Amino acid sequence: MNLIEVRNINKYFQQPAKMQVLSDVSFDMEKGKLISITGKSGSGKSTLLYLLSTMDTNFEGSIRINQEEMKGKSNPWLADFRNHHIGFVFQFHYLLPEFTVLRNVMLPALKLAKYSREETEHHAMDLLRLLGVADQAHKRASLLSGGQQQRVAIARALINEPLIIMGDEPTGNLDSYNSDVVFDLFKKLSAEKGQTILMVTHDEDIAGRSDQTIHLVDGKIDRIN
Amino acid sequence: MKIFTNIQLAATIALTHMRSRLKQTIIATVGVIFGITMFIFMISMIQGINDFLRNIAFEQSPHLRLYNEMQSSPGTILDKVQSQTINIVDHTKPKDVSPALKDGKQVIQLLQDDPRVLAVSGSIKAQVFYRLGSSTINGTINGIVFEDENALFKLQSKLLEGSFQELATTPNSMVMGVNLAKRLNVKTGDQLLLTTEKGNNFYVTVAGIFKTGMSDIDKQESYASLNTVQRFLEVPAAYITDIKIKLHDMEQAPAFCQELQTKYGFQGSDWRQDNAAIVDGDAFRNFMVYGVSITILLVAGFGIFNILTMMIYEKMKDIAILKAMGFSNGDIRRIFLIQAIIIGSIGALLGLGFGLLATYGISQMPYKSDVMITMDHFPVNYSIAYYISGFSFGIITTTLAGYLPSRKASRLDPITILRG
Repeated sequence: MNLIEVRNINKYFQQPAKMQVLSDVSFDMEKGKLISITGKSGSGKSTLLYLLSTMDTNFEGSIRINQEEMKGKSNPWLADFRNHHIGFVFQFHYLLPEFTVLRNVMLPALKLAKYSREETEHHAMDLLRLLGVADQAHKRASLLSGGQQQRVAIARALINEPLIIMGDEPTGNLDSYNSDVVFDLFKKLSAEKGQTILMVTHDEDIAGRSDQTIHLVDGKIDRIN
Repeated sequence: MKIFTNIQLAATIALTHMRSRLKQTIIATVGVIFGITMFIFMISMIQGINDFLRNIAFEQSPHLRLYNEMQSSPGTILDKVQSQTINIVDHTKPKDVSPALKDGKQVIQLLQDDPRVLAVSGSIKAQVFYRLGSSTINGTINGIVFEDENALFKLQSKLLEGSFQELATTPNSMVMGVNLAKRLNVKTGDQLLLTTEKGNNFYVTVAGIFKTGMSDIDKQESYASLNTVQRFLEVPAAYITDIKIKLHDMEQAPAFCQELQTKYGFQGSDWRQDNAAIVDGDAFRNFMVYGVSITILLVAGFGIFNILTMMIYEKMKDIAILKAMGFSNGDIRRIFLIQAIIIGSIGALLGLGFGLLATYGISQMPYKSDVMITMDHFPVNYSIAYYISGFSFGIITTTLAGYLPSRKASRLDPITILRG
């Protein structure tokens, strides 16, 4: 069963001049795989990721995630969908600096409001333990090192047990030790929990170790291996 | 249920934001506090003064008055008889109308039985000269029945010395305004000469001195008993020139006045006409208070607008992250709107408190009135309506001020921020 089905996507930037970023992109992704999107800068790989993230709704074509069509859905519906099914990890860790580490991890779950506060807190602590940053839980997020922050960001992406974890260069700002830690963790998640990992990267080594690589050249799919 | 948890979550995020910008938040709140405090303080004070001025004026003026007045005749009789021709009559004189109200006493009796009427008093107003030694001052003498007039105007409370009761018992006695007494240099017990319009002279004794606070009255009016004045004027005991009425509901006065005028054929005027300047003054002063307060609140609103706009620029990344996590545009808007509302409500509540304190403070300030004998402190009005409108003002302006920035925040495109 395909988790993501992308059909005939065209995407244009209007600013500064009208320009086609993606042209006629179609592909399928299976559940439980680790998939990399690669390409040179300006090839449209990040644009594609953000289309799949449901945050960018301005495109032609069709994106179906988990059998749901994303085109033409309202902002609250999409927000709720992201909350349930998509976790994000970014290149710059992007924690909320005034909140504690624990609060940062809990926020998506508090928004989901599926479990009680105590359960959520418990769950968040488990994740922090899994990622080896449990001892930092009550510090303010801005006080952590880059590697630690990225691990907290991953914990946050995982808290709602999403179908898909999306990363925009998740290892791009980490040293090689930390980026291996992160990548291995992604591998483990897809293998053990059946979560689909979709990330944009220009790291050839990481791309090579993924289950599937989508390579973009000038807004078109060059090859999928 | 979901919306409730959403709001709760937005509120916790809002509070965290505010805690991290504590200084700016406090400054914005102080702006609102100041605005509301000023509003409460000014409106309480100005309304207090308004009430005070109204009281003086209205204690001195009846709700409505009936009288006769000299009127020039509308045309000559020739115009009626020979309406086809052009008639020229030189030097027409006003018709000799007696200022007396016809059947005045009967009218008073009827009015006393009217359920709308609180009190009614019939009196005579006449022009006289007060003479003492070489000084001659013209003025007005009021012939009154003390009990009736007192029911209308609380004369007793305005008495400085002597007594009103003596008017009825001592012949040729009068109670005069304080400034008039000063000008004549008389005090209670002194005698002076009174000259009427017709040129008759009477010796009268000063039985007391009053002070109303209205200088026009205090410097030329005096009171004597109805009988005494009738005797001075050489008129019969049925003669009265004024009927003054106080109603249970003063707002009914204009309509009631019309009714009486048509019924009895007298002329009449009500308190609105008699005190037009004061009624207008009230409106202007209130207008001023609202104007100034709204300006202050607008400035406070701009403060909130600024702090939120700045906050949103600082928090663009946070907003993008929250959106990526699954916060909708509405959730983001709520986070910032809640900040504005919190600032607004805390500011408004504290403002009401400080306003009350300031009002109380000024009300304790000794203020010796030259006008009201009974007043020794600054007049204020603690009406609950000002507190309600002050609070609503505060909430509304801050919410409006918060609305634009929060809408801007909710419309931020997360992708442009996340891509850097």
